[in-house]
Amino acid sequence: MSEKEKLALLEDMFELDEGDLSADTVLDELDEWDSMSKLSLIVLMSDEFEKKLTGDTIMTFKTVGDILNYMG
Amino acid sequence: MIKSSFNNIKVKALVTAVPSKWTPVEEFINEPDEKNIAKFKKSTGVEGRYDASNKQTTADLCYAAAMSAVKHDGVDPADIGLLVFVTQTPDYIEPATACVLQNRLGMSDDCMAFDVNLGCSGLMYGINIVSGIMESSNVKYALLMAGDTTGKNQRRYIEKGWVDREDNEAKLFGDAGCAMLFEKTGVAPPLDMAMRTDGSGFKAVIKPWGGERHFEGPQMSYMNGIDVFNFAIEKPPALIKELMRDIGTKPEDYDCIILHQANKLIMKNVARRAGFSSKQNLLSIDKFGNTSSTSIATALTKHYGDDNDGSVKAMLCGFGIGLSWGAVSIELEKSDILPLLMTDEYFDDGYEDHIEHA
Repeated sequence: MSEKEKLALLEDMFELDEGDLSADTVLDELDEWDSMSKLSLIVLMSDEFEKKLTGDTIMTFKTVGDILNYMG
Repeated sequence: MIKSSFNNIKVKALVTAVPSKWTPVEEFINEPDEKNIAKFKKSTGVEGRYDASNKQTTADLCYAAAMSAVKHDGVDPADIGLLVFVTQTPDYIEPATACVLQNRLGMSDDCMAFDVNLGCSGLMYGINIVSGIMESSNVKYALLMAGDTTGKNQRRYIEKGWVDREDNEAKLFGDAGCAMLFEKTGVAPPLDMAMRTDGSGFKAVIKPWGGERHFEGPQMSYMNGIDVFNFAIEKPPALIKELMRDIGTKPEDYDCIILHQANKLIMKNVARRAGFSSKQNLLSIDKFGNTSSTSIATALTKHYGDDNDGSVKAMLCGFGIGLSWGAVSIELEKSDILPLLMTDEYFDDGYEDHIEHA
């Protein structure tokens, strides 16, 4: 999956418009980065990448780029 | 999985009881922020919840539900040989609240009555326990009661300053109780179920203080939302699929799937992963909030309580604290699912509230 496709998945999850996110976007500066979106990210990782995301791993995510890297 | 099947146990009545006070989400918090409220409603599905008064306990709600169930079927309480009360908000640390309820309900002493300490999986375990004891005993009628006043607990935590009023958890939970009256009959629709427990996750939802291991401390419940979520979207759908494979049913054989009303995001994913459509996935969290062991009953009541036409084949699945989960394949007559009952009555046991003097 290309980086563009991965970004599109995240934009869809956050209900943002195309182009709203980049690898440099700082998660704590995003209004949408809350407890419920973290749960949605767990589902996305499991469904699309077959990865089980733990709370500890989520804590290490500082930017959208960190999430993209984790997607692999 | 632990699998049980019965063909001689019938649900004669199911009643859900709530307090009359219903509070919309907007009134839970001090300074409502429209954007946050909209977000909370959308992700959890909660629009509001029923609030018990300080005096009204889970046992009071379940008592009212049980009296209504017994009257509906004209069963003499003296003929009920088993009372199981599933709760995490009992009247007392000891004795078991089921014993108090046995007396309040006018049941005879030819009766087994005990409490079961389980939460969101509790109604499933209760159905299994009741059916199993009925089948192997001379019990003809049994009462399963389940409920919690988790919402009231959250309001206490807020008053004590342990929890922020704005926290999602403080807004999520409601108060409710239910009763199911069972009868052992010659022939009944198949009742199949499967249970599992994984205590390695005992810290995912826990009230660590106030028991014997840590007597002193704030008696409040803690939840690791992410651990619970990971468990909820993985284990319950797998169990539902295993049960269906074992008994030879498919999602399309069911009118509905009724899941523990945890939050909308969890329910959506559990139903989808178990192979059910979103149309089959019946919700009641909008009006009731998360009501722990009663939540599956609230959904049955909401969708079928006012409908007396025909029967409903349902896949039920409860999951949560323990960690513990169970699924039940059941067929119910809609006329046996009674309309929602509201009550503000409470039991006066003769004790005064304890007040600490300086």
